[in-house]
Amino acid sequence: MSKFISRKDLLSWLEGVSSEKDLVAPVQVEGRLLFRRTGDVSEIVLDYTNTDLSPREFFFPATETLFTVDKSNGRAELEPTRVERDTVIFGMRPCDAKGMAALALPYLQDPADSLFAQHRERTAIVGLSCLKACPECFCTSMGTGPDDAANVDILLTEAADGYMVEVMTDKGKALMPDSLLSEAKADKPAPAQVPLVPAEGISARLREAFDDIYWSRLADRCLHCNVCSYVCPTCYCFDIRDYSEKGGAVRVRTWESCQSPGFTKAAGGHNPRADKGTRLRQRFAHKLLYYPEEFGTSHCTGCGRCVKACPVNIDIREIIGDVQKLGKAN
Amino acid sequence: MGVEFEPRIVGFLCNWCSYAGADMAGTSRISYPPNLRVIRVPCSGRVDPILIVKSFQMGADGVLVAGCHPGDCHYAEGNYYARRRFAMLRPFLEYLGIEGDRFRVEWVSASEGRKFSEVVSSFTNQLTELGPRATGAAV
Amino acid sequence: MSQIENVHTKARELLESQAVDCVIGFGKGTTGGSRPLFVYGPEGVEDLIFDETCAHNLAKYLLNRKGKTTAVVLKACDARAVNLLLSEHQIERDKVYMIGVVCPGIKENGEPRDTCLRCGQRTPVSYDYLAGEPEEATVDAELQYKGVAEMEAMSMAERKAFWEAQFDRCIRCYACRQVCPGCYCDECFVERLDPLWVGIRIAPSENEMWNAMRAFHLTGRCIGCDQCERVCPVGIPLSLLNRKLEKEVYETFGYEAGMDPEAAPPFATYKKEESLGFGE
Repeated sequence: MSKFISRKDLLSWLEGVSSEKDLVAPVQVEGRLLFRRTGDVSEIVLDYTNTDLSPREFFFPATETLFTVDKSNGRAELEPTRVERDTVIFGMRPCDAKGMAALALPYLQDPADSLFAQHRERTAIVGLSCLKACPECFCTSMGTGPDDAANVDILLTEAADGYMVEVMTDKGKALMPDSLLSEAKADKPAPAQVPLVPAEGISARLREAFDDIYWSRLADRCLHCNVCSYVCPTCYCFDIRDYSEKGGAVRVRTWESCQSPGFTKAAGGHNPRADKGTRLRQRFAHKLLYYPEEFGTSHCTGCGRCVKACPVNIDIREIIGDVQKLGKAN
Repeated sequence: MGVEFEPRIVGFLCNWCSYAGADMAGTSRISYPPNLRVIRVPCSGRVDPILIVKSFQMGADGVLVAGCHPGDCHYAEGNYYARRRFAMLRPFLEYLGIEGDRFRVEWVSASEGRKFSEVVSSFTNQLTELGPRATGAAV
Repeated sequence: MSQIENVHTKARELLESQAVDCVIGFGKGTTGGSRPLFVYGPEGVEDLIFDETCAHNLAKYLLNRKGKTTAVVLKACDARAVNLLLSEHQIERDKVYMIGVVCPGIKENGEPRDTCLRCGQRTPVSYDYLAGEPEEATVDAELQYKGVAEMEAMSMAERKAFWEAQFDRCIRCYACRQVCPGCYCDECFVERLDPLWVGIRIAPSENEMWNAMRAFHLTGRCIGCDQCERVCPVGIPLSLLNRKLEKEVYETFGYEAGMDPEAAPPFATYKKEESLGFGE
């Protein structure tokens, strides 16, 4: 039988969490719904389908100092950045939780990325299952679902006057002790109905359609901005640069996107993905072919953000459908 | 506040007039405040507005562009183009929250050592009154 | 015949006679709206649509088709973008066929875009063929600089704080640049490594540098389609920057970008006798 917490108790629990740890939750920022650190529980938005940006910035920040070189003592001392605070992310949707797990596969592969590992170690995820889907959602076709509890520490499901609680991990147990919970009196509400996308066998089809003119025709429309990769929960590419600062230097890592023309540009000016079609194909091939081949799971979680944010309606759901047909035609 | 605020000014001086004007001030032993960091440019028309914004971003308290008087440009028309750009940049800086008084454009000829000294002095005084500009360091 | 039927007929005629290789217009999207559509043969012309969801400025795509003959469906603002590109010699007039459409004013989520309320231009200033019936412009002067005037009335510190808060959200996806018909440098200043004008850090100081210079590079060039603002994933009011400069340019030089492909842009010309406030 599921556990239950009343809305009032949940809010006071969040209050308590925010006094000890960094609480991250969906809040309204100038008309956008974004995950933000907040100390004010009353500004947390509880009724929403999904945020405009994914929560990946709390595991893989848009910009992060990897280490600092301190030369003030006449010697160069290298100080790696340490994640000092515990973070609790509240209200993460199962698709995004799957996304954070997908980020972890490459980042924690040996040799593990120490900063990512620290963020992951010190962050607890309180998931919120979806009772309604966005028009762009297609998570159930991408190996997760509106009530998927696999990648969260605690999963909440909204019910009358409160939330059903499933504590999934020890981290979750420590965060939300049993004493706060009561036995649920009703059944868990039904999860959202999510539209399906014909993703079966897409990896093989993509390989067959690799050299199709389809990609360059699709790229006609593409503007090659980085929106799709920056709203995506699972895109993990980065750029690195060193900056000299007074008394030393810092090494900085920032987000980067395979859609930007300079992404694959090598010294001497050669660019293996100089044309727009190959860049665009890279994004979808990485999501649906290369990553699944290497890690055995989809790199797209079906959150639908890229569909919603793309200025020219490049729609991965449509592409999956198109590629299925292309592959078969060959 | 023990130490008095000394504004840091980045000065873009045109090679043909204003840089020579600064030289003239020197050879004539006319003194001016040491707050100016001079960057010699071929023409005021070479001063891309990005140089000015970048100077502010890197912590300058004021930016001075000085070039030949209109009509006297070594390249005939460089300063005519320049002043159009600066005329648009100044209100734009204000709009972004950078006081327009922190950005000054002056016409100083090679013989105007005295004027050069006066420009730097009055600009330094003005910036001292405005106080430091709060910025984050970034490259 | 309706406007869209005229577009179909004209597009078919141009493609059949091989006067152009491609017609760029609007097609149906997957999320209830429209999207850019590239038609390469007469069989595809029926897919062209035009309605109040057709927000995109298709002039941008002409930059990818240099040297190729292209017809393009243009609203009033889009036609100004073509004029801008012509005046800057980025495209050739005889390679571009301008199919003008009379714009109903674009709506977003059922509401008219602020941009379109301000504009009121229904009929493109330039076209080779006009598919609809020309309509008088209904420009509301009061709306023109709405928002900008409020910004100007703020104190310096308030403005600084306002922009800091806005730029703080910027994730530097460069969608604003990629969608802009006026942004076409081979190498954008933001991607230059030497000199490094803007660092790669997605942080307040760099974000301010990027947003300020992006807007300033469009001084006297912005045609006011507000695509930048439309595509911004974090809702930065970029139009407030562009329109401030538009206002300054108009008040100082009496120039509006993209109205006339022959007119010299304000930074590409000068007057000897003009007083711009620098002690002249």
